[in-house]
Amino acid sequence: MKTTRTFGVFLLLAAMGPFLAGCSVVQKGADILTAQGKMSEKDRDALVKTSEAVRSTFSEINEEEEYYIGRAVAAMILSRYAAYKNDALTQYINTVGNAVAVYSDRPEIYAGWHFLVLDTEEVNALAAPGGMIFITKGLLRRCRDEESLGMVLAHEVGHVCAKHGLQSIKKSRLVDAFKLIGQEAVQRYSPENLAQLTNIFENVLGDIAEQLIERGYDRKYEYQADGLAVKFGAKTGFDPNGIQRFLKTMVGDSSSASGKGWFKTHPTPESRMESLQKTIASLAALPKIEAVRTERFVRYAGSLK
Amino acid sequence: MQKPKPTAAIILLILLVFVVAFAAETLLVKVQTTQLRKGPQFFSQTLAALKAGDRLEKVSENAGWIQVKTTAGVLGWIHSSAVETTKLNLLAMDKNMKTQATASEVALAGKGFNKQVEASYRAKHGEVNFAIVDQMLQLKILPAQIEDFLKKGNLGEFRGAK
Repeated sequence: MKTTRTFGVFLLLAAMGPFLAGCSVVQKGADILTAQGKMSEKDRDALVKTSEAVRSTFSEINEEEEYYIGRAVAAMILSRYAAYKNDALTQYINTVGNAVAVYSDRPEIYAGWHFLVLDTEEVNALAAPGGMIFITKGLLRRCRDEESLGMVLAHEVGHVCAKHGLQSIKKSRLVDAFKLIGQEAVQRYSPENLAQLTNIFENVLGDIAEQLIERGYDRKYEYQADGLAVKFGAKTGFDPNGIQRFLKTMVGDSSSASGKGWFKTHPTPESRMESLQKTIASLAALPKIEAVRTERFVRYAGSLK
Repeated sequence: MQKPKPTAAIILLILLVFVVAFAAETLLVKVQTTQLRKGPQFFSQTLAALKAGDRLEKVSENAGWIQVKTTAGVLGWIHSSAVETTKLNLLAMDKNMKTQATASEVALAGKGFNKQVEASYRAKHGEVNFAIVDQMLQLKILPAQIEDFLKKGNLGEFRGAK
């Protein structure tokens, strides 16, 4: 009898193989066999359990976990920089950013897309995982129209869509975390597991902060985010050359204190402009800048103190 | 000790292939809240409110949008970025399997890096500013506000629709 059951389990796995199907499907198939008396309950449970995929890489960090990682990264950024208080401007930046996000690869994100202006003259923009995005007052001053702002935000949305923040987490931390998380059957962690998981969480945040704030992402991620910015920005209807107009203000400005954060963490504006030019030239249709948008940008950005 | 009958095994295999191929795919909502929409567009009329963990049955797909049926039987559309399917990876099966779980199981159980881990982190790092993050997250731009912004700026799908 045991041989038959083992053979049945083998058969079920063999049948499932080519489909790489969802767990729910395995559960359903196993339920049917159990109901028909072709498989014991014990075997069904074992089969469903072994069909659970192993979590081991950044791409398997779930939406809620990304949100909690993002919150903590955002909190670290806000411990370094003060938020700029200007309700009308904050509302406007959030509307522009959300409009771009609608036309991105990830219109839906765990707790929605959120944008905030940082009260510093340093030129920089930072994207925390989970869709929490920051741009500085210094950067905003270098934008002359809505297209430039929209394109800069599209670049940051691109970092989140491509999960560049999560990709900077060292793999060993995730392996440790997933192992620990998988051990607990209950919803709340035991004190010792919680202490261990908190330590891993701290290290995860450290990995992201080092890339995001200190060293900058790998240069290839910056170019990838530029490519995504052109894609999302143009789909929104913004003239992608808006990012070029912004980058031009940064050319030859590497010695200035205002660009310190930016130059430490991004490739040179010249090389980005060159690569962007190629991407923009490949677009089938190029949206044009419109006065109605520049006017509203000037109205909101003009209130910048 | 009964030997497995090859005919029965073949019938079973065929049956299973059909079960797997035609079983409706279940999707789980992975964002905190979202809307079921009438058509496969962001600004389409909303039919129902959905929340994380809600189960949906996949009906069809169209350019990043998935037609689904709710457990209440409402048919509508949802963007693929709002749902998750659990992937079964047979090649990844090894001895560690018993102590690990899939992303959606962890999410459904409320485990992983969660509120409890954040609370524990915050207790250790009083200097990290979560209050402003909470404020930042409170500001929500509604789809109607985005639509108005796009229309006034002659943007997105409303371009040239004057």
